Amino acid sequence: MNRVKETLRGLVQPLLAVLIGLLAGAIAILVVGGNIVDTYAEMWKGAFGNFYFFTNTLARATPIILAGLGVALAFRAGFFNMGAEGQMILGGLSAALTALYLPGPGWFVCIAAILAGIIAGGVWSLFAGWLDARFGMNLLITTLLLNYIATYFGGYMVSYPFKDKTGSAAMAQTPMIDQTVWLPKLFQGMGLHAGFIIAIAAAILIYWFTHKTVTGYEIRMLGSNPSFAAYGGVRRIRMMMLSMVISGGLAGLAGAGEVLGTQYRFLDGSLSSASYAWSGIMATLLARSHPLGTAVAAILLAALQTGAMGMERNTDVPLEVGSVIQAVLTLFVSAQIGYSFLKRRKEKKSNATTV
Amino acid sequence: MQQLFDAAMFGSTLRIMTPILLAALGGALCSRVGLFNVGLEGLVLIGAFSAIVGNYLFGNVLLAVLFSIIIVMLFSALFAFISINLKANAIVVGISLNFLAAGLTTFALRAIFDVKGAYYDKNMVGLPKWDIPLIKDIPWVGTVFSGHSPLVYLGIIIVIALQFYLFKSVSGFRLRSVGENPIAAQSIGIKVRGIQYGAVLMCGVLCALAGAQLSLGQVTMFTEGMTAGRGFIALVATMLGQANPLGVMGSSVLFGFMEALSIRLQGFSLPTHFTMMLPYIVTLVAMFFFKDRTYAQDALKAGGSSR
Amino acid sequence: MLLEMEHITKKYGSFTANKDIHFNLREGEIHALVGENGAGKTTLMRMLYGMEQPTSGTIKVRGREVSFATPSQAMASGIGMVHQHFMLFPSFTVAENIVIGREPAAAGVFDRKKAAAQVNELGRQYGMPVDPWKKVGECPLGLQQRVEILKVLHQGADIIILDEPSAVLTPLEVKELLANMKSLAKLGKTFVIITHKLQEVMDVADRITVLRDGQVTGILEAKDTTVEELSRLMVGRELVRMDKPASVPGEAVLQVEAVQLSGAKDRSALKDIHMKVRKGEVVGIAGISGNGQSELIQVIAGLRKPDGGRVLLSGQDTTNWPVRRIREHGLAHIPEDRYMWGAAKDASVKENGLMGHHHRLQKRGMIKAKAAKVMVESWIKQFSIKTGSAETKAQFLSGGNLQKLIAAREFAQDTPFLIAAEPTRGVDIGAMETIHAELLRKRNEGAGILLISSELSEILQLSDRIIVMYEGEIAGELPAAEATEEQISLLMAGGKERV
Repeated sequence: MNRVKETLRGLVQPLLAVLIGLLAGAIAILVVGGNIVDTYAEMWKGAFGNFYFFTNTLARATPIILAGLGVALAFRAGFFNMGAEGQMILGGLSAALTALYLPGPGWFVCIAAILAGIIAGGVWSLFAGWLDARFGMNLLITTLLLNYIATYFGGYMVSYPFKDKTGSAAMAQTPMIDQTVWLPKLFQGMGLHAGFIIAIAAAILIYWFTHKTVTGYEIRMLGSNPSFAAYGGVRRIRMMMLSMVISGGLAGLAGAGEVLGTQYRFLDGSLSSASYAWSGIMATLLARSHPLGTAVAAILLAALQTGAMGMERNTDVPLEVGSVIQAVLTLFVSAQIGYSFLKRRKEKKSNATTV
Repeated sequence: MQQLFDAAMFGSTLRIMTPILLAALGGALCSRVGLFNVGLEGLVLIGAFSAIVGNYLFGNVLLAVLFSIIIVMLFSALFAFISINLKANAIVVGISLNFLAAGLTTFALRAIFDVKGAYYDKNMVGLPKWDIPLIKDIPWVGTVFSGHSPLVYLGIIIVIALQFYLFKSVSGFRLRSVGENPIAAQSIGIKVRGIQYGAVLMCGVLCALAGAQLSLGQVTMFTEGMTAGRGFIALVATMLGQANPLGVMGSSVLFGFMEALSIRLQGFSLPTHFTMMLPYIVTLVAMFFFKDRTYAQDALKAGGSSR
Repeated sequence: MLLEMEHITKKYGSFTANKDIHFNLREGEIHALVGENGAGKTTLMRMLYGMEQPTSGTIKVRGREVSFATPSQAMASGIGMVHQHFMLFPSFTVAENIVIGREPAAAGVFDRKKAAAQVNELGRQYGMPVDPWKKVGECPLGLQQRVEILKVLHQGADIIILDEPSAVLTPLEVKELLANMKSLAKLGKTFVIITHKLQEVMDVADRITVLRDGQVTGILEAKDTTVEELSRLMVGRELVRMDKPASVPGEAVLQVEAVQLSGAKDRSALKDIHMKVRKGEVVGIAGISGNGQSELIQVIAGLRKPDGGRVLLSGQDTTNWPVRRIREHGLAHIPEDRYMWGAAKDASVKENGLMGHHHRLQKRGMIKAKAAKVMVESWIKQFSIKTGSAETKAQFLSGGNLQKLIAAREFAQDTPFLIAAEPTRGVDIGAMETIHAELLRKRNEGAGILLISSELSEILQLSDRIIVMYEGEIAGELPAAEATEEQISLLMAGGKERV
């Protein structure tokens, strides 16, 4: 019974945040002269209205879930890994190149491409972790800077050496990947692909890892109280490297999934323009770095985004209202994180022994 | 080589470094009162957008800048409230603020101007170019120092003013005490919270000016995400400069020079992608070489743990 | 009477820190306030300095009743405090630190030259010269303290409270401090010195007030008393000596050889420590916290590497081993600060209890959740830990119950060697007895226990041998059966063993 009560208590804050977010959205809708009820109705339809839209939402959620899981793990361990976007891009690029140039049967190349994506993202993330561990270079900033470097590198690769020279449109992209290597669609005619299954499996796996395994336990304790972890024998550097690798690997997987399941090529800017990685970070903040919660929050954010697109199609309200809702949501949650901290300090004071 | 490092290049450096410098000075003030402000990127973005909006509303560049200042101050007040009063983790608040800035500017771009991606009005007048009498006639020096927007000169003046304020005035002295040892400052009766708010608001003003320089200083337009990481580079400039106005100026010149160089190099046969990478790589390298300096204590205090 | 505090009582919820205390000051005297950790000395002075308010009682300055809501108000009445942990700004100069808040200025511009002149004048007037331009962070601690004193003098203090002033000073610096106090007193300043160092008290005080468990046990003229009497008033209570069979110690389970560790500012945290703990005995380290005990524990547990010397656990040199390896070799550790080292507030009781056992309670990488739950619940029962359930977050446990959880967790390791650092700090009597009983049971079963405590009674009740640490060194070692409170508190206070 206690478990239920505590879960419910944990849900109050995010629900409140959602309400505030929707309220902010309502204000934004009014500002552009729309009708709140109609607009939100269109938004709902756009996200979940019929099977097509629903699968679209889930398809959009796929990379957000994966990137968000990666960030959640790093945050849980106490590390501000903000490099999901760069890791995703390098993951997508590696997957595309592997898919294009590795010989072999389709299913084999597909799996190899996925692995390549995971490794690329993992290595890029590990690099930042190493810079922090070895040289004390602030992880938050290095991961952010590495995002830009990765983005430009990806852009270069598809503008010069690996550019798609077939076809008339001279776009910065790789040639299209052979159909046999594609991730299969889950439903005929719908955009949802096997990557979604991978994402859900990953969410469960990461949850299992952080909450049920010994290493996951050590990672969580490290994030909760580094001194306590050291006292208990947890090795900080090792855990940091491990969490950074897994974190980056998941982001790389997100990129690989998009390339192999939706776009069938690596297109410069496609992964960043959709802001998958940043939505992933938002999902983590919303869910307080809980793996399953992050997956749910990711779907919620995806729904906001697809819903906003539907809203734009059918009303005069621009889809950017969705961005406002997301951003206000996240800000509110960050304020709430401080709230519980305040409560804790009050508790500590009443327990304090005095000299 | 001669082609590369000519006077125009150094002139560009001054122009390009200004947004970084102003934001970094704002970051330095926050740092001096113990707050690690990761939200500089968002604040500058809001500043850039608000300056365009102000120009659109009032048709006057000065009013546009003032409008921008007011708007950004509101957002930095929000940052101050959540970080100081609600005692939230300043880093998480800063990240959220960046999200908020991106979302709101994108929305407002649609709502106000009904465009996506960028807003450009060929009739809109940006910041004027001031020719400094006497200086402009000196060869080389004139090319470098004359003909910039007023904000460029303001930036340099603010560096000197802040240096004086922090190290010569009583008020600046007490401000520094707040960041150095807030408990001790409190015990003497110094109003710690008030000073922190003041510093954050001033940071807002500086970020507004930085944004205005971005959107009105060269080409008068606003592009989504136009800050492109400059807020984070400014943060590094703050750390390298040890939150010291003159030091911050030094690192800002370095980063500005690198960005100017990367633009210049685009004219050569190197792929633009590598030239555009240059500022970020240089920042990383600078962090490596000055690793002791970038070990920001207040970043740790603000909560090294992301939980 | 310059100052009178009458019927002062201070309660924090149900806990009474000060009970009906009378304390007064004569003008120009040096008055020592002594007592053990937790006796209530700092609480009393915090009320005088405006950082706390009395639950009941009055404070009178020069006959007029006053009430201080903030330190600024106390300062306005001429009361200044030099805290145990200095309130200084390391990167600022001496002059800046002294004049901050009352800076000499012209039109908002800080006149640093004038400040330096003021500081020089102050130093000359009170016989405590300082270099106004030196950065405080670069000054030795004795000089920093001088800056703190000059700061309160600059603020116009007539009554100066010093909280454990000699805790961080070298013997030479202590001499200088005491001399300065005497000359300032001659100039009309009044001092309250909170300390546990009885020898210094005898050297410098005019009168002494002794506190024990929140109450006054004696107000004496220094010339009429002795260190022994003071120490008895501080500590003396009828001790219930626990019945324990005589220890039959076996071979050494812990050996510390020539360990040294440098601390902050050229002071050694540990100087040439030699000690051992044998199987089946309790070695108690007595001493006021801050004399190197924390550092010694960290070195033994592997949390810090010493600059010299070795640590041997069950015969193996573990000096440079990682923490986990040392623990698995046979060490358990009840840490002295339960919130910093002993627990994670966000985690549940069960998760906190798992630490240290998590490698043992696993199957193919997965934690045996059920076994963990059973284990923790057995502790909850055995030690009467009051908690909602094993899933309750640790932050909701009271200090005492959290301590019981931590103790239970470490006891359950069943290791041949156990460190128990302040095991019953902030814990109620019932819990204290449970933990003590368990410690003795372990000892009787053959474990070696290193007990560190600033509670002398606890040391005397449980130890077979007692080691006293003072300023990073071992000041003395005695078998518990022969030790007396006076002897130990003398050693704790820095007195040498009388030959």
